Amino acid sequence: MNFEAIIGLEIHVEQKTASKMFSSAPNSFSREPNTQVMPLDMAFPGTMPTVNKQAVINAIRVANALHMEIDHVLTFDRKNYFYSDLPKGFQITQQFHPIGRNGYVEVDTSLGKKRIGIERIHMEEDTCKQEHFLDYTLLDYNRAGVPLIEIVSLPEMSSGLEAREYAEAIRNIVVYTNTSDGKMEEGSLRCDCNISIRPIGQKEFGTKVEVKNINSFKNIELAVDYEIKRQSKLILSGSKVEQETRRWDESSSRTILMRKKTDAVDYKYFCEPNIAPIRLSDEFVNHAIETCPELYDSKKERYLSLGLTVSDAEIILSSKSLASYFESGLSSVKNAKSLANFLIVEINAYLNKNGKKIEDLQMKCPTLSEIVNMGEEDKLTHKQCVDILNRVLETNVSPKLAKEQLNIVSQASDDATILEFVTKVLDANPQSIIDFKAGKDRALGFLVGQIMKESKGKVNPAAASKLLKEEIAKR
Amino acid sequence: MKEVNKEVLVDAASRLLFSMEEREYDTLLEEFKILKIQMEKIGKIEGLDEYPPMTFPFPCEVDFLREDVPSKPLSRDEALRNAGSKQDNQIKLPKVVK
Amino acid sequence: MDYLDLPLLELHKALVNKEVTPFDLAKEALNRAHRDENNAFEYLCDEEALSFAKTLTEPEEDNVLWGIPYFAKDNFSTKDIPTCASSDILSGYVPVYDATVIELLRDKKAVLLGKTTLDELAMGGTGMTGHLGITYNPFDPSKERMVGGSSCGSAASVAASIVPFALGSDTGDSVRKPASLAGLVGFKPTWGRISRYGLFPFAPSLDHVAYFSRDVISSALILDVLAGRDEKDATSSFVPVEKYEENIGKPIKGMKVGIIKEVYDSLSNQATKKHFDSAIEALKNSGVEIKEISLGHDLMESLYATYFVISCAEATSNNANLDGIKFGPYRAGNSYEEVMNKARTQGFSELIKRRFVIGSYCLMKENQDELFLRAQKNRAKIVDEVNKALKEVDFLIAMAAPGIAPKFTQKSDKLSREYLIADNHLCIGNFAGLPSITIPLYLENDMPVGINFTGRAFEEKELFQIAAALEKETGLAGLSAKNKKEGNL
Repeated sequence: MNFEAIIGLEIHVEQKTASKMFSSAPNSFSREPNTQVMPLDMAFPGTMPTVNKQAVINAIRVANALHMEIDHVLTFDRKNYFYSDLPKGFQITQQFHPIGRNGYVEVDTSLGKKRIGIERIHMEEDTCKQEHFLDYTLLDYNRAGVPLIEIVSLPEMSSGLEAREYAEAIRNIVVYTNTSDGKMEEGSLRCDCNISIRPIGQKEFGTKVEVKNINSFKNIELAVDYEIKRQSKLILSGSKVEQETRRWDESSSRTILMRKKTDAVDYKYFCEPNIAPIRLSDEFVNHAIETCPELYDSKKERYLSLGLTVSDAEIILSSKSLASYFESGLSSVKNAKSLANFLIVEINAYLNKNGKKIEDLQMKCPTLSEIVNMGEEDKLTHKQCVDILNRVLETNVSPKLAKEQLNIVSQASDDATILEFVTKVLDANPQSIIDFKAGKDRALGFLVGQIMKESKGKVNPAAASKLLKEEIAKR
Repeated sequence: MKEVNKEVLVDAASRLLFSMEEREYDTLLEEFKILKIQMEKIGKIEGLDEYPPMTFPFPCEVDFLREDVPSKPLSRDEALRNAGSKQDNQIKLPKVVK
Repeated sequence: MDYLDLPLLELHKALVNKEVTPFDLAKEALNRAHRDENNAFEYLCDEEALSFAKTLTEPEEDNVLWGIPYFAKDNFSTKDIPTCASSDILSGYVPVYDATVIELLRDKKAVLLGKTTLDELAMGGTGMTGHLGITYNPFDPSKERMVGGSSCGSAASVAASIVPFALGSDTGDSVRKPASLAGLVGFKPTWGRISRYGLFPFAPSLDHVAYFSRDVISSALILDVLAGRDEKDATSSFVPVEKYEENIGKPIKGMKVGIIKEVYDSLSNQATKKHFDSAIEALKNSGVEIKEISLGHDLMESLYATYFVISCAEATSNNANLDGIKFGPYRAGNSYEEVMNKARTQGFSELIKRRFVIGSYCLMKENQDELFLRAQKNRAKIVDEVNKALKEVDFLIAMAAPGIAPKFTQKSDKLSREYLIADNHLCIGNFAGLPSITIPLYLENDMPVGINFTGRAFEEKELFQIAAALEKETGLAGLSAKNKKEGNL
């Protein structure tokens, strides 16, 4: 029997606004527990929610990036349940009128681009953070009330890879709309996967299993694929898939039962009476969209048009700070591809070696552009450019001064000068000529090396190599 | 509609995280009887379904959103001063089993 | 001289003329409060009140609330002053912030003396269900009769002439009904007119900040201070505020008043009807046009159930924050569920629990359509009918209660017409969010009975105008248990 998998994702992203969703408490990470709290966040009696403008702007931008219909009247609803991390005994969410409906996102699959439908996105608030110890739990309300956007896909994915690519596409959108850090490892993007399988050709859906606690994009893929296999085995062995919630266990790379789903919980939703409906004017919505920072896809397209490879563009865009560093050097650089190359290889190596982040770098990207331009204009070797770069990074001097300090002079590429060195080196190494003629290509490398040594690096190696071959042929 | 009986009411109370004295359930059943009769009066009213359920007493749409500017939070002492169980500047509960 | 017996404006004059100081006034009021026999208080904050009053040395002529002592119902959040909404579940709770109205009154240098009792969590109408027990009606020295609720302590404190005004809250009639039973002016404004930030919610779609005073003009002057947009309350209105006392004294000739027929018909007490008729006569004599308005018998009989379902449903959610974890008595247990369960089981009275179960039942998925949503639809229908009526007339008028304060022992038939309509119609003002005022109409055996006007949204100024005109006719301005009057009607 062959099965097809049906996968839907519910993604929660923490917004990085300055204040919380419904209170004006700072929305900033603090190691000091319970220091980022206003009365509402601990549900002190009589407190009332007020809606954060930036959180709405972010939601509009995400909805727009996901090609959704945007509701111009905001209302909120209460989701009523009791839990230790839920201060009010209800969560304020948008059950009945989500801000965005009916959208989609495109992901790359082996069969080309595929559209994954998105049912809804809505705004809600985070719960407080629980820290579990051996026999007790501590509560920190700093996280209580942090704005969330929930993005609910349609069940339209069919493999772990697709699920992962979908989640990454969502990540790219929330990161580049400046809505969220989108880091699964840190919990600012959380993903629950609903997975069911059915024999190919069957119309009815199979029993759905929810997998929680996935902490990286890679693990989305692993968890979904694991679950598909597990469910297939169950059915093939004559058992039934149970409706349940499982969690991904990273150490054993499998999903583990958390709880059986009995009756669905009745959240007794009703309209939040403490927030009067908010009318969003067309101007407001349009302005939020028009002022939205450039999105991932558009940046990628632009980078490709500048000559970057797909892989380079994706590496740069994988980190928003790397991308914004890159952007700041683009206007002055003559060869964007070289700039990307220096950034990805040399700068990254430097950062790794020194345990630094791109944000910590004193040297700004226009300086790197200057080095790249210098390399092109003065026909410096890659190594020379790297030497200059390292000098700049270490001593914070200008590229020009670094070049002077390193005694780097432009390479000779005029044939007359190079020929002098070529003749000299060939005369001194007759055996190498014989070797080369006998088919030992290595000999050529040796000879070029000798020329570089003689010339103290002032000769362009490519030009030297070309002349060498010509001269050897004459001998 | 769910039938009102003691079992349902006991379950409802336990979902609200409290328990009630035995005799209170009898009172409650009586109250439901009265409520049922009173609700039937609503049932008699014609054309009710033409009305959307009302939360707000009159149209009160606003175009106001709070500016995203943080204010000075509560001091930690204030935040925690009413909590009866604390440790390490946090509220302490018996271990919450997920 | 007993300054505390004076109406607000006269007291203000005495303060401005330095006949009496805010400190002396606060001290005398606190003395009276400490001698109170009506169980009106949850907490008296002598120290805070007196030290604040002491700072008030320069009278402010244009600020009628300068140095005026007042009480707040114990469901207003008051920073550093214990607030428990007369429920054990909040015993020992000391708020970390002030309600907006408390802030506004402090800005005007009114002096908060303490917090008054209420029906537990404001969910009741008898003044009998607070955790400190029954609050008594100061008009009845034999202590047999209710003062009404839920704002029972605030009503008792004003009726006993301890303060000239006190804050309450009104979700169904919790100020306007006790006002009737305690001979007071009880007023609630349009929904959204006064910020609810800091008012412990019972049912936010029906909740209003409201208050008691002993004459209509005080009520208007207090609204001048409390009304206005508050960014902390997302239901607070942007409609500009007015000088609410401005129209008082102006002729009411040509105004149109509608008698709610069903309320009148459901009155069983002939005396009540007779006095109501005299009030109508008096209005007619002032040139008011009287109309009879029928809102429909079935609709009127459905008010109570509609109110009950909506308010209980909202209440169960609003009070879900009371779990003993963040505030209120913590009771140890082996799991968080047990901790919450103990706090809630021991913290709520059985009556409150029953209401929560009812509310929760009405919200259950399989019941919502037939109960909660049906009640919400019926609310829409009621509001529609009322607003239609208010296109024909400027105000609705009805007795605020079927008669004098009932005895504690008196049982009401919860299915009788009088109970369903005459005793419970004031929630119309909450359903529609309309401004509504009760003023004393007459006394029977020394016990007062009130009459109620309800006006159009945001037309408080006109409401005060007509209420003050009728008050002039009744001669009962300034009525209190210490200052009982005959009345003219």
